[in-house]
Amino acid sequence: MRYLLTFLLLPGTAFAQGWGNVAKQAEPKGFSWTDPLWGGTWMAWTAATAALFIGIFAAMAVLVVLEIRWPGGAERRGILGLTTTRGDRLFITLLGSVYIFLAWLGLTDALLWTPLALAVLWGVFCFWKV
Amino acid sequence: MKTVNQKAWFFVLPVLLLVAFNALVPIMTVVNYSVQETFGNNQFFWEGLGWFQQLLRSERFHAALGRQFLFTGMILAIEIPLGIVIALSMPKKGFWVPVCLVLMALPMLIPWNVVGSMWNIFTLPGIGLMGYFLNEVLGIPYDMTQQPIAAWITIIVMDVWHWTSLVVLLCYAGLVSIPDAYYQAAKIDGASPWKVFRYIQLPKMRTVLTIAVLLRFMDSFNIYTEPFTLTGGGPGNSTTLLSIDLVKIALGQFDLGPAAAMSLIYFAITLFVSWLFYTLMTRDDQR
Repeated sequence: MRYLLTFLLLPGTAFAQGWGNVAKQAEPKGFSWTDPLWGGTWMAWTAATAALFIGIFAAMAVLVVLEIRWPGGAERRGILGLTTTRGDRLFITLLGSVYIFLAWLGLTDALLWTPLALAVLWGVFCFWKV
Repeated sequence: MKTVNQKAWFFVLPVLLLVAFNALVPIMTVVNYSVQETFGNNQFFWEGLGWFQQLLRSERFHAALGRQFLFTGMILAIEIPLGIVIALSMPKKGFWVPVCLVLMALPMLIPWNVVGSMWNIFTLPGIGLMGYFLNEVLGIPYDMTQQPIAAWITIIVMDVWHWTSLVVLLCYAGLVSIPDAYYQAAKIDGASPWKVFRYIQLPKMRTVLTIAVLLRFMDSFNIYTEPFTLTGGGPGNSTTLLSIDLVKIALGQFDLGPAAAMSLIYFAITLFVSWLFYTLMTRDDQR
């Protein structure tokens, strides 16, 4: 009798949870940097990667504005013995940052604030001295 | 009065559009894929920088990268000096000039996968001319399907055969553009052939050599078709260069995320080495 009762009550527990909700995660609400944008398209945009490209294109736009305002690319010979323009310095900054982050990812599990700081310092160094 | 005409920008527009579609859109897509996981059907799951971390620590990637650098280093060390020597020994005028030029251009006209197949058949031990000759006539065991060393020799000889011509033609173009006055001055001063080479021919060839080294570096670093057709990356993994490994991960295993991360690291290496070559080889011009 006790077993029968338990058996009869089982569906009740399922009803309490709600049918069809098993193993379903609650839908996150609001903005997320890492969710697919526009419901997922083949280019697989997320807000985070979009921000990266917006940043790069914004930097290039700033260089264009600077070039129109002060033409000539601010060419000079830096401490590495290279003759660089503003565009060269941006290129060296970005490429160097890539390697700073890759080295960090390859060598440690620590958080990414340190390489971010290193990359910013590298950028300042590039625009100041290189 | 100086007139400023900005109309020329409009003529660049088609190229910009073309580059946007064949370079910019793909690379943005690769960046997006490299931080996500997908099982197809345009469903993506955020992965962060996990693929990069995994890849940078994987033995398989290190091995493929090492093989790639070994391959590129070896073919550059052979093709550049060999190309210069051949260009120096080619006739400068007369009947033989076009004959030499056409002979030199021939290997470059052959489609890459055909080059791979040709060398595959050529070096197979049972039926290939070279394979049969080495094994049966000279008695040297040579089987590029079984011995890693033989496979490496075959892909390197194949690349040298295919691409030394490019270095030759570029160097030759640099050589014939040197005015005779330089040689006459060298003769009057009694300069030795080595001095002529070191102080006249080599400096005059520097620009084209820069281009040759850059082109050969980028091409050989990204090489896929010929070794894939020839050895398929084997025996074992011994000739699995970076690009072959990349295709295995992307299309064989359909791991698009790791493959995208690998492509980006690959791209960063190519970009850095090309920049380094270019900067070092053009640095003297800026002084």
